Amino acid sequence: MTKVGIGGITGSKPALYVVLFLMAVLLLVPQLHNGYLENLFRGILMFGAMSLGWNLIGGYTGYVSFGNVVFFGLGTYTAAILSTHGIRNVLVAIPLAMIVAALFAAIFGAPILRLKGHYFGIATLGLALATMEIISNVDYFGGGTGLTVRQDAFFSLYYYAMWCVCFGSLLATYAIARSKLGYALVAIRENEDAAAVLGINTTLYKVAAWAISGTMAAAAGAVFAFANGFIDPDTAFSTDNNIFPIVMALLGGVGTVAGPVTGAIILTAINETLWSHLPKVHTIFFGAVIVVVVLFLPRGLLYLFRARQSARVFLESLRAYRV
Amino acid sequence: MGDVIMRIENVGMRFGGLWALSDVSFDVEEGSVVGLIGPNGSGKTTLMNVVSGVLRPSKGAVWYRDKKIADVPTYDVCRLGIARTFQVVKPFTNLTVLENVAVGSMYGRDGAKRTTGAAFDAAGELLELVGLSRVAGQYASGLTTPDRKRLEVAKALALNPDVLLLDEVMAGLNLAEVDEALRLLRTINDRGVTLIVVEHLMKAIMLISTTVVVLAEGKKIAQGTAAEVTSSQAVIEAYLGSRFAERQARLAEIKRQAEIAQQIERGIL
Repeated sequence: MTKVGIGGITGSKPALYVVLFLMAVLLLVPQLHNGYLENLFRGILMFGAMSLGWNLIGGYTGYVSFGNVVFFGLGTYTAAILSTHGIRNVLVAIPLAMIVAALFAAIFGAPILRLKGHYFGIATLGLALATMEIISNVDYFGGGTGLTVRQDAFFSLYYYAMWCVCFGSLLATYAIARSKLGYALVAIRENEDAAAVLGINTTLYKVAAWAISGTMAAAAGAVFAFANGFIDPDTAFSTDNNIFPIVMALLGGVGTVAGPVTGAIILTAINETLWSHLPKVHTIFFGAVIVVVVLFLPRGLLYLFRARQSARVFLESLRAYRV
Repeated sequence: MGDVIMRIENVGMRFGGLWALSDVSFDVEEGSVVGLIGPNGSGKTTLMNVVSGVLRPSKGAVWYRDKKIADVPTYDVCRLGIARTFQVVKPFTNLTVLENVAVGSMYGRDGAKRTTGAAFDAAGELLELVGLSRVAGQYASGLTTPDRKRLEVAKALALNPDVLLLDEVMAGLNLAEVDEALRLLRTINDRGVTLIVVEHLMKAIMLISTTVVVLAEGKKIAQGTAAEVTSSQAVIEAYLGSRFAERQARLAEIKRQAEIAQQIERGIL
């Protein structure tokens, strides 16, 4: 009997257990009653969800998006507008934000996902910048000054909500990686022509992947809006929120389930440590970390778990750069 | 031999100012093996692309049963019962060999009915058939050339086709491997799958084909059994040049006259 390869695209099992354990630990953070830590770890969960979202289109499907922040932004503004109309329940805002993101992806996905490689990346970046400009110039969205988002729940609720968004994204990614959909996405990444010949409606699946990817970021955005209490275009569509999730997925392991959350934890830890010890030059070191990752661990830390191959890949990378 | 399953009707394909195919017509009978040969650049792969719906013909049409292939989106062609391999193999390198084939079982003709587990079981059986079970759990990136070709065939078979288009699956194989590949193609054909085989290896084509179609510079120059095609003047010209063909003809003429002379001599004696 041939060995069944189910789980081949979920990535390393041990890494997944480690991440599930860490998620359980993260659930205890509000018990510490430490505002700083709660904010820090809510940030990790937020980036975890966004990175999982990016991973679905950039990692699994192989369409590297440089504009997934647009979904995060749409999520924050959905929550903010609901709040201005007196709806301050985060549990209402999350699903609505997800619907807005999915519709946005469905409308723009069909034309944009025809582009490949760099062109897709540029188009997504353009879409994000254009959306940001439009929102900054419409009074209904508060223009450049932004909107206040009123909270009417105990503050830690937003931590738990963000935990649920991140955990939900993790479960969704796992379910997709175990399903036919996951294999369709990976087949598209590996070779789109061959995928089509095998009966995969590539356009449909690409748009679906982008839409699901968007809902994850939008849900995180909706919770962020409430937790932050205030939203303006620069916060909602910030470059950090665009780039960090990508770097986190790269650091953790693109196209794996556990990678993005691992990356979010490690990168936030590095960033926070550098920032507190080297307040003036921390971005230089941060940039250096990114360069090292891309050079020596092009497929992310989790690929080190593929025991036999990883050591070889790592050594080959070292040799290739003559270090 | 059965009914006509596929009809290639005056197919022309233009790339810019170049007609890669012009006015090619032939019928494919159910259960037959059609060999498609021709010198480099004669349009074999282009014809394969048109037949499999990857390219839309500029002129003419390919009919499969009562459907025009150009009207069907690429991803639906396999659901009609047509599968193909690529000359330049396209494995999903970061998936295992088993997963590569399983993707076909999931989305091919019977895919909708299958669960993921059932797709993996079906893929496992196909690996057994093509002789890849030993590397089922390996990543496709590590396969040797013959194994890549086998994988390409297994992926196409996963779609459960009635017609299988094989684009140079034997290129780059050694003699023993070619024999093995021929055995595999016979097995597939015996299961009732109609084959259209593009190949440079004459021996392979001649052994397996029931009909051979010869293309040269985008035109069909001959069609018939292997023996008919190899003795055709047009085919020899296309492959070896017109001067060679003339010399062959002159040699044949000299031989004939020599025979007559001999007979006359015998008659005199």
